[in-house]
Amino acid sequence: MLRYIARRLILAIPVLFGISILAFMIISLAPGDFIDNFRMNPSISREKIESLEREFGFDKPVIVQYFLWLGQVLRGNFGYSFSYHVPVFSLIWGRLGATLLLSITALIFSWGIAIPLGIYSALHQYSFSDQAFSFIAFIGISIPNFFFALLWLFMAARTGWFPIGGIISLDFHELSFFGKIGDYLWHVVGPMVTLGTAGLAGLMRQMRGQLLDQLRQDYVLFARAKGMPEKVVIYKHALRNAINPIVTFFGFALSGLLGGAVLTETVFNWPGMGRLVIDALQQQDLFLVMASLLLSSLLLIVGNLSADLLLAWVDPRIRYRFG
Amino acid sequence: MKKLLLVMLVALVAVAAMAQVEPEYRIDPYEGKPGGTLFLGSIGTGPRTFNPFVAQETSSTDITDLMHQSMFNSDNTGMPTIPALATEWWFSEDGRTVYFRVRQGLKWSDGHPFTIEDVRWTFEDLYFVNEFTRNGNATYKDAQGFLPEVEVDGNVISFTWTEPNVWSFRAIGWGQIMPKHVLDEYVQAGNPIEAWTLADWDKIVGMGPFMIESFTEGVRTVMRKNPHYWIFDEAGNRLPYLERINYEVVGSQDVLLLKFEAGEIDIMGPRAADWPRIVEQAEEKGWVYGVGGPGLGSDFITFNLGHPDPVKRSWFRNVHFRRAIQYMMDKESIIDTLFNGLGTAIYGPVSPSSGFFNPEILEAFPYRYSITRARLELRRGGFDWDAQGRLIDSDGNRVEFDLSTNAGNITRETIAAILVDGAAKLGMKINYAPADFNLLVGKLLTPDYDAILIGLTGSVDPGSGWNVWRIDGGLHSFNYPPEYNPDVIDPDIYEAFDWEKRIHEIFVRSVGEVDEQARWDLFAEFQMIVAEYQPYVYTITQNYLYVHKDSVHLANPHPNPAAGTLWQIHGIWKD
Repeated sequence: MLRYIARRLILAIPVLFGISILAFMIISLAPGDFIDNFRMNPSISREKIESLEREFGFDKPVIVQYFLWLGQVLRGNFGYSFSYHVPVFSLIWGRLGATLLLSITALIFSWGIAIPLGIYSALHQYSFSDQAFSFIAFIGISIPNFFFALLWLFMAARTGWFPIGGIISLDFHELSFFGKIGDYLWHVVGPMVTLGTAGLAGLMRQMRGQLLDQLRQDYVLFARAKGMPEKVVIYKHALRNAINPIVTFFGFALSGLLGGAVLTETVFNWPGMGRLVIDALQQQDLFLVMASLLLSSLLLIVGNLSADLLLAWVDPRIRYRFG
Repeated sequence: MKKLLLVMLVALVAVAAMAQVEPEYRIDPYEGKPGGTLFLGSIGTGPRTFNPFVAQETSSTDITDLMHQSMFNSDNTGMPTIPALATEWWFSEDGRTVYFRVRQGLKWSDGHPFTIEDVRWTFEDLYFVNEFTRNGNATYKDAQGFLPEVEVDGNVISFTWTEPNVWSFRAIGWGQIMPKHVLDEYVQAGNPIEAWTLADWDKIVGMGPFMIESFTEGVRTVMRKNPHYWIFDEAGNRLPYLERINYEVVGSQDVLLLKFEAGEIDIMGPRAADWPRIVEQAEEKGWVYGVGGPGLGSDFITFNLGHPDPVKRSWFRNVHFRRAIQYMMDKESIIDTLFNGLGTAIYGPVSPSSGFFNPEILEAFPYRYSITRARLELRRGGFDWDAQGRLIDSDGNRVEFDLSTNAGNITRETIAAILVDGAAKLGMKINYAPADFNLLVGKLLTPDYDAILIGLTGSVDPGSGWNVWRIDGGLHSFNYPPEYNPDVIDPDIYEAFDWEKRIHEIFVRSVGEVDEQARWDLFAEFQMIVAEYQPYVYTITQNYLYVHKDSVHLANPHPNPAAGTLWQIHGIWKD
């Protein structure tokens, strides 16, 4: 098992390498660079622009820029953000907590609701409650996130039940330890529901469809004919087969943990990575974009790996060759 | 003997008292109540740096501006008339030297004494070194490219150029003075740009009214009054009145408005689109609202006068063509569509809000929206219409060109759309395609474009536009000389126009013009030339809008784009 994991991780290195070349080239080939905002400033002279180009290394060919960057990365230095003047990872770490808090709670929210509802709908196909759940879930998927977020904030402003965006209250530093946790949770509800409802419908329909497929299989008919209790038929046999694609889905969900919530973050003033990275992209803050891309790629790789391992655990038919 | 001792003692005390400099505090005529917290919102992702000579965007400078002070401040028309760290300033007879008398006996926010050496060091060792600041040292150089000689004599510091240099004098007066005792180690190490990043928020020392008390990246910045601030009110209260300022990071205007409506924010600058909603609620909620003058910046259309295609070049160089564009723009309907009527049509590079605005251009060149006038101008320029009503030039070529602006800027996209509409009425075909900002900048600065709709930050003093208007300026984008980019601009094609040379001359001369009225006259002439020749076709600007709770008492009686709601923030107080 460990050998299998090790092999997958070693294989990930060339993948990351390839991603870094592609990403670096595409960003560099895109028109303009970080200095464009300086170029449009009426009070900055051409000499200064040229000295900035040298300072940021834009006067060198892209290939040279890439290898200079790569050399630094291999030594553990991911470079400075052009606009913040601090090492990129100190920025990313600062925002990682908020991002993970939001994406993990949203993940728990949507999976915690979608899976049971999907199972329930499959078992009560075409009943009133099945239709009702589907209807609600589709409302969730069809309202754009930013609009849902604004509606939520409007509700929060009118009722005062929830904060109008943000991650902590004004008096956060005076709160007790549990008070602080409560404060975080109180603030996370809005963005969590916004994000969670968007993913709900797809997952629920997937679960429902998979389970219905399995319930129509001969082995289910056979098990029922044999007189096996209905609960065992469904939960021990059908569900276990139905959950397979959902687990793969989960691996993908892991990779989306870091960057999947830009609009929601913006509307809710959530100080997460999404906004940081979008800003960096617009400004062409090269090293910051590269670092976040690499981190997201790493998560995708880890997500896929853990999905595969989960599959092996869920489905005894799957055996990885560990050699 | 005893008497002698006594006399000596008295003499000693007197000498000691004389050595102790009486602090030269400034007394302002505010009558407020100390205490309270002001809640403000900052749109975007919050500050990116606390280094004032690195910061570029307002989310950072909003904060750094509160922590630092300069030798003079602007009055509420944006003119540099209020003494700050300098008590007075004057020019020498020949105009080459400017003197500042610096206040004595003041203290930095950390209690360290503030001296004239800090002022000298700030300029000579920091701002005059091109690599040490993000904006470079160009604004401090005279027309010959020389930096000034700096001399300190007692409490007077002087700067001497090879020729009179008003522009740099202003830049020095506006320059925020930095603490030598804190930043000198960075200067010695050659990397002041790395000082005062976000992580150093608690290490900042300044002469400004507020310093950072706590900072949470991406969430908020809490500022607390500087205990050593050097401005007092007449009742003897050390200003600022406010105990704290809470700058909350807000993702968008929509959320800022919601927060303001919920009472979480005290002052905001609303969008024109939200104005009716504000006015409607104002009485019930006790808000004070107002409209200042037109904004300082404006969007304009620039045509590539050095276009490689001779046909297009001949249109763009034709002054009647450019005037026709000015006439065909239905600015009132743009203002109604975009700004609920809360905007102003702009006809030149200087905003009517600026003290330098020359109102005569409106009478001399009344460019009111008129398709008839536009047709007339086109006819004068040798254009005609074919049987299908399409506009053709004197050689029979159909008039058709590309227009671009940066995608995502709703104001510019709307202006472009209305422009295309107006052109269609004249039988002119504009192919409009918005582009990514970086792509657009690249095209503008190559130059490689037909026409671009873009804007630049404006300021009260037209002198700040030197980089745009001087022929050798980096942003002289309508007609770059061949030396700018020899690969693209063919010297055989290039032509410098007389009016263009005159503008260049005005900008060069205005730098050395010490006399205020003469300088004003120069810029008045400049505006006249621009109105006549329309090198840039100016469009519209939004008026300055503000609203605040009635519990907040602003120091500025009439907030406007040159001096906003937070002008002289140390005089703002809350009930």
